[in-house]
Amino acid sequence: MASRLLDRQARLLDHLSSAATLFGEEAGAPVDPTLQGIDRGLLRLEARFACNRRLGKIAAAFPRTFEILGADQKLILREFVEVSRPTAASTLANARQFCEFLSARWRHEPPKPAYLPDVAACELAMLEVRNMVQDHEQPPNKGGSYGRKGNIRRRRGVIALRCAYDIRSIFARTSGEVMPPKRDVAFAVTLPCDSSEVRILELAPAACDLLARLDDWVDPRTLDAIGEQENLVSYLAVHALIEVTEVEVGVGGPFLREPS
Amino acid sequence: MTLRRPYPAVGIGYRAAIDQWTHDHLGDFDVLEITVDNCIDGGRPVCSAIYDLVGRIPLIAHGVGLSIGTDTPLDEGYLDKVGEIVERLNAPVYSEHLAFTRVPGQDLADLLPVPKTEAVAASIITKVRHIQSRIPVPFLLENISYLFDWPDSTCSDADFLNLICRETGAGLLLDIENLFLNSRNHDFDPYAFLDSLNAGVVKEVHLAGGITMDEDFLARPYFVDSHSHAVPDEALDLLEYALKRHAPANIIVERDDRFEAASELLDDVARIRARLVNTIGHAHGQPAVGSAG
Repeated sequence: MASRLLDRQARLLDHLSSAATLFGEEAGAPVDPTLQGIDRGLLRLEARFACNRRLGKIAAAFPRTFEILGADQKLILREFVEVSRPTAASTLANARQFCEFLSARWRHEPPKPAYLPDVAACELAMLEVRNMVQDHEQPPNKGGSYGRKGNIRRRRGVIALRCAYDIRSIFARTSGEVMPPKRDVAFAVTLPCDSSEVRILELAPAACDLLARLDDWVDPRTLDAIGEQENLVSYLAVHALIEVTEVEVGVGGPFLREPS
Repeated sequence: MTLRRPYPAVGIGYRAAIDQWTHDHLGDFDVLEITVDNCIDGGRPVCSAIYDLVGRIPLIAHGVGLSIGTDTPLDEGYLDKVGEIVERLNAPVYSEHLAFTRVPGQDLADLLPVPKTEAVAASIITKVRHIQSRIPVPFLLENISYLFDWPDSTCSDADFLNLICRETGAGLLLDIENLFLNSRNHDFDPYAFLDSLNAGVVKEVHLAGGITMDEDFLARPYFVDSHSHAVPDEALDLLEYALKRHAPANIIVERDDRFEAASELLDDVARIRARLVNTIGHAHGQPAVGSAG
């Protein structure tokens, strides 16, 4: 009996994304009845194109990580395609998958060099902020307490990042090897509204931790240790890392203020 | 002698990797084709660069992520985004590939063929009508290049496209490089394919340059649509032939690799314009851009 087309399409994608197909290890395996009559060599070529396109997106997202991986790249990418099937087309989705894979791998085999996880995390954060919508394109309209004057939220296009190495030198350099200093450091990775260049700003650790908590609008008076937080909120606002709501009487809605 | 017909606009597919180069050469093109998926997934800097082009040069919309051939209902969320982008670009036409790229839970982001049967055509026809009801500009379907075909395909490439376009009124985005590669890889006559198409169905044309792959696991070398090289003369010959029966509004050169040789795009555009002069004569007034799909 003929299979449903969707089942056949799923079997084809399974085949094309399998490591066995990609690396030519399926030669002795029985032919999937769904794919009978299709040349295996051509399927392998198609699989390779699709895989190369996917890895190309990932390499573009992690230029420094790939550079540092050096000769290990080939082995790591092979392991990646063996365990991480493609689930989405976007660069961001594939980059997240790659980072998850690396994190899992590093739990069993320590990263070399040790600062590599920080570099990968920073490159993913840079991609994430580039993909975040502009503030004015996604107003916070889910019925929260955003409209209350003085409420705050982390600005879209900002990510809080804690690292064990100060990896800024990796991104600042134009050539040559750089060994980043080992020290706990807190960053805000940010794409300013008026710029197409991602910036990495060092923050006080407490400010970074507060920034990480500000996913949704919150009344800063409800935060712990109010006196200390007030200073941190001012600090984040001065650096344009948070939004602050204002309500103008008669206007009928909030607008967002970007402290300068 | 000059025929009275719309004169095709000639341009390139916009790529963020050559954004500055494209801006520097904007005057060399009549039109740019925008890949809507770059507006959806490309991130804020890419979106800003694309929308910055609105009003500076005519833009047309093209997609790679609809996966119209997947045997599931269309992704309405994706269509919502396409509708917004088409409006924001002020694009007079929206095109997509007659292909599938994904199934629920898996997305290869690779344009794969569907079985060319009447049942599959009927399913595509329903979806094209739905797209036409959702996106308020003419919709075009593009022929893909394919390395393999499904063994249960019963229609020829041209019959399959003709059936869908005839039933829906959709136009054809004829990718001449894909036609050229398919004819080589699958041993058919590309001129016979062009003769078989419904008269006037071609509303746009894609051109590109590919490569030949020769691997030990292949029975013979295969031609691949890599969008990496200059448009081959054979493809321009096919363009000239197609222009005798069709009046595409736009001719777009695609490039996705070897951007360091972007100046080849200018040569390609010049060679295309020379062929247009051969076939249609010199342009009078503004090129077409909009599609009468």
